[in-house]
Amino acid sequence: MSFGGEFLCHPDLFPGRRSGEPWGEWRLVLDVPGGPYRFSGLAETQVEALRLRFGRLCRVLDSAALKTAEAGVHTAVFRAPGADFLELDTRGWEYTLDLDHAESFVRIAGLRLMARLDWAPGITGGLWTPEVAGEMWVSVLENYLRLLVAYRLVAEGGVLLHSAGVSDGHSAWLLLGPSGAGKTTASRLCLAAGAEVLSDDLNAARFPDGGGGPVVARLPFTGDLGERQGEPGAWPLRAVLRLRQGPAESLVPLSPAAAFAALVAAAPYVNRDLWRREPLLAALDRLAHAVPAWELTFSLGADLWSILARIPL
Amino acid sequence: MSEITSSTVLRRPADIRYRRIDGEAVVLRQSTAEVLVLNGVGATVLDLADGKRPVDEWIDALAREYGADRETVARDVLEFAGEASAAGLLEPVPAMPATKAGE
Repeated sequence: MSFGGEFLCHPDLFPGRRSGEPWGEWRLVLDVPGGPYRFSGLAETQVEALRLRFGRLCRVLDSAALKTAEAGVHTAVFRAPGADFLELDTRGWEYTLDLDHAESFVRIAGLRLMARLDWAPGITGGLWTPEVAGEMWVSVLENYLRLLVAYRLVAEGGVLLHSAGVSDGHSAWLLLGPSGAGKTTASRLCLAAGAEVLSDDLNAARFPDGGGGPVVARLPFTGDLGERQGEPGAWPLRAVLRLRQGPAESLVPLSPAAAFAALVAAAPYVNRDLWRREPLLAALDRLAHAVPAWELTFSLGADLWSILARIPL
Repeated sequence: MSEITSSTVLRRPADIRYRRIDGEAVVLRQSTAEVLVLNGVGATVLDLADGKRPVDEWIDALAREYGADRETVARDVLEFAGEASAAGLLEPVPAMPATKAGE
């Protein structure tokens, strides 16, 4: 199927540039790693929904503030007719954005959304949706934001990882694996043992500007574990673990190449982008050499948290 | 898929990228984000699969590099090349059509 055909009635009419009719005059900023992320053209109902979803990560701006806030990424939000989108039965469906990569842009089609990121050379975004309020609007924005964060982190030398992030309050561990590998299960086991779960789905690994080892930064994206309330922050990364579920616990060291391979597989969106692959691979190579990596096999009855805490530095 | 022989010329498909890390190779199929790890010999074979040299030349190079018996190397390389081709990591270079005299 050609790009957009899974979601759009007229994929050939996909916007060729960032233009259209804004929903309103409202503007806000999301303070999320890789950001700040600035949005304009919003309706008041859209802003209210985002304030409920993102809480203190969300700041409403006046016009002057938007113009003076030079850092970060700007996304313009536009109206799109609901009739432009296919009606889809999403029961039992695994949702994946449809991406079209090119040298200077990425086009994105999804459930009730069209979007594009343009590089000139920094990233600017455009988002078209028929949703003006409520959960579906928040879902549209969040799916777009996940992808935007992935690209922004790579631009900063970091990476977005499909992973469970757990912490003892001093340092953090990243548990990697595809859907079904046990990230949420492992998160629940660690949570029950007193650990803090940063996210059971997506975490940011970054190298601080001032030098030093990699840190895990909390992101407001969660999986089946549901919303976790916690302060924004970053914790030194102690180890990366590739998860497997099995009858008995084992911990086997991974070679740097195997760790790198696990990290590449866990780097969503950008790992399929031929045009922006090299900075991603460079960041993952650096990460694979910066922290120890292990394959962790665990069972549902495992004292997973104790195993993590015993991993040598 | 055609049989891989010592005269076959193989190359890496356009969507295959690899990176050497500490003696191993991590292979990434860009279109699907599949990732594989190959050992050092597999990494060297990927280096040799430039779409110009036939498998025969790989065998010579590897036998020299590892100081191994050529016949043994040939058997292993042909087996690996067949498996790598089946996995989509290598593909045969189409033979150039012969031109007619005077063209």
